[in-house]
Amino acid sequence: MNKQKTKECYFCVNNLEVDYKDTRTLRRFINFYMKILPGKRTGVCAWHQRKLATAIKRSRVMALISATHK
Amino acid sequence: MSKTKKSTIGHYEILFIMPNKFTEDEAKTIIGNVEKVIADNGGQISYREYWGKKKLAYEIKHNAYGYYSLCEFDLEKNSLAAIDQNLRLSTDVLRHQIVIKKAKSEAELAKDKKINAKIEAKKAVEEKEAKDKSKKQAEASESPKKPAVKKERPTDMKDLDEKLEGILSAKDLI
Repeated sequence: MNKQKTKECYFCVNNLEVDYKDTRTLRRFINFYMKILPGKRTGVCAWHQRKLATAIKRSRVMALISATHK
Repeated sequence: MSKTKKSTIGHYEILFIMPNKFTEDEAKTIIGNVEKVIADNGGQISYREYWGKKKLAYEIKHNAYGYYSLCEFDLEKNSLAAIDQNLRLSTDVLRHQIVIKKAKSEAELAKDKKINAKIEAKKAVEEKEAKDKSKKQAEASESPKKPAVKKERPTDMKDLDEKLEGILSAKDLI
């Protein structure tokens, strides 16, 4: 059965830019183990998924997001 | 293609962390020093933001807390490495990160405004629709119940009385 709803890219729909300082929105695209979730699951388009990945890595460097769960 | 055509000035953003061993005032003097380093290399600071003391997601050199500060500036591309090196060597700054920040032109800003207005209009329409739906549903769920309850009771009582009377009278007859 096709359980999945049709998902839209969060950044395209709301006309937002991916920002590495905005940890609250970045947190939506990371799982419990602090891993970056695939775009297939979150619905983020490929163009924004690339920006998102670099943004998450940048915020990890600046200790805004931890790289691992405790 | 030629190098001269491209502008050599870029717009950058720097975020840096100062260790917790300093007081708030000392941290602010360090921010002044960092800004001085940028200015000395020919940078023009356009935006400052002080985040204050924050808990780090993980310990950096046994520091659990740090003072965050953000700064935007325009700088020639060649002198970026000098700033980077300077901050890397300084012990006052725990960690720093310089990122290219795209400055939006007026046309882009206008476009953004248009799109945002469209999105807001769409959201408002959706909210209205959702409200109407919920109202209709509430009305639909309320309307059949009330009359049904009102009607049933009296008719039931009447019917029961009639039936009882009928039965009683019938028994008497037999």
